[in-house]
Amino acid sequence: MELVDRYLQAVKFFLPKKQQADIVAELSEDLHSQIEAKQAELGRTLTDSELEAILKRCGSPWEVASRFLPQRYLIGPTLFPAYRFFLGILLLGCVVPRFRIWIGFLIFDPADRGYLNMGNMLATIVFCSFFTTLVFAIVERTGIKVKLLDCWNPRKLPPVKDPNRIPRGNSLVEIGALVVFFTFFCQVLWPGPVIDLFGAKIMLAPAWRSFFWAYTVLAMCSLALSGVNLFRPYWTTSRAFWRLLLDVAGGAMFCWLLKAQLLLGISAPNLSEAKAAELTTLVTLIMAKALPWAVVILVAIFLMSSYRLFRVWSRDRRRTPIMPPVNGVTTSIATGS
Amino acid sequence: MSQSTSNQDRFENLRLELRRGCLSLAVLSQLKTERYGYTLRKALNEQGMEIDEGTLYPLLRRLESHGLLTSEWREEEKRNKRFYRLSSEGKQVLKQLAAEWQSINTSLNGIL
Repeated sequence: MELVDRYLQAVKFFLPKKQQADIVAELSEDLHSQIEAKQAELGRTLTDSELEAILKRCGSPWEVASRFLPQRYLIGPTLFPAYRFFLGILLLGCVVPRFRIWIGFLIFDPADRGYLNMGNMLATIVFCSFFTTLVFAIVERTGIKVKLLDCWNPRKLPPVKDPNRIPRGNSLVEIGALVVFFTFFCQVLWPGPVIDLFGAKIMLAPAWRSFFWAYTVLAMCSLALSGVNLFRPYWTTSRAFWRLLLDVAGGAMFCWLLKAQLLLGISAPNLSEAKAAELTTLVTLIMAKALPWAVVILVAIFLMSSYRLFRVWSRDRRRTPIMPPVNGVTTSIATGS
Repeated sequence: MSQSTSNQDRFENLRLELRRGCLSLAVLSQLKTERYGYTLRKALNEQGMEIDEGTLYPLLRRLESHGLLTSEWREEEKRNKRFYRLSSEGKQVLKQLAAEWQSINTSLNGIL
């Protein structure tokens, strides 16, 4: 019976102190009853391997003890989806922007990448995870959880989202912004040897002319696209493709503008030549330094637009059933829905 | 092979889930007369309701903590045994649960 005693001792180890004696006495009684019944059946005492088989069937000491313990968790199944959502958002917010900027520095300005301290990113992740878990564990264990779960109203739930719908408000804002900016752009930055900007004279390199007209064409195309989106407020593959093309072209042009060093000089009535030269150098330097950040934003815009194009393309593909080949020719039918 | 194993696992999980709900009712019904753990388990096994000790004893404790059972330690056949029986509240709950079971059974028979 030494095996049984060892087994019971192991079970006892995992049990709460107050219940140890009671539970072990009951388990012991059950095991001894089982052994007695088996011995009566066989007409002899059990061997060690037969005892072992009985104990094995009962389960490991940890498993047996755990069944007597209350279910314990830090964050329960009700709050867990919200916890995972918040933690995901926080971690993405901590990691993704820094990582993108770090890549931007690495590609375009490796000498200055030391400005961005990546060393403390791990600490930030640990802090974010710890405090999110702590807040949710407190909510789980206090009455706040019940209040939060009760505090909802079906009327206040967000409307059903259609990711392929283009809100008319967005199209109107786009059109308004393009018209205002383009008017300003044409009136103030019209290409010439000298540009008058609120009293200051700005000298730009001849390449400004190319940029100006390229940007004008781009702005017109964007305006046309926003106009179509206003009256047909659902993305189609062709319009999503044009959006991607215009976004990438606009971003690339802006990056080129930052890199091209088009500013030749600045002069203003109350500005000395030395100060003007200093200001010109400073503006050129700031534009050059802004390039990595602009590239990062361009990549983000490219990814978002590409994802939209892929989503719309996949939707259209699902809607177009492929007919079985007739005489070796596969046909597709557009449902138009 | 792995497909059939996973189907088997899925079935086993669903089977255990189905049986788990019925165990409380089975245990309460068997404790109209006083029994200790081992004999209770034997009685249930003999009637086709297999239950292992790792499931039975925690269940007995839970039912007792809810006031549906009473228990006392007594010596029998030279060993200390814990005897359980239905409390008056347990008798009432058993009646309600049995009615509920009948209703579910009738509905399921109709559905199936």
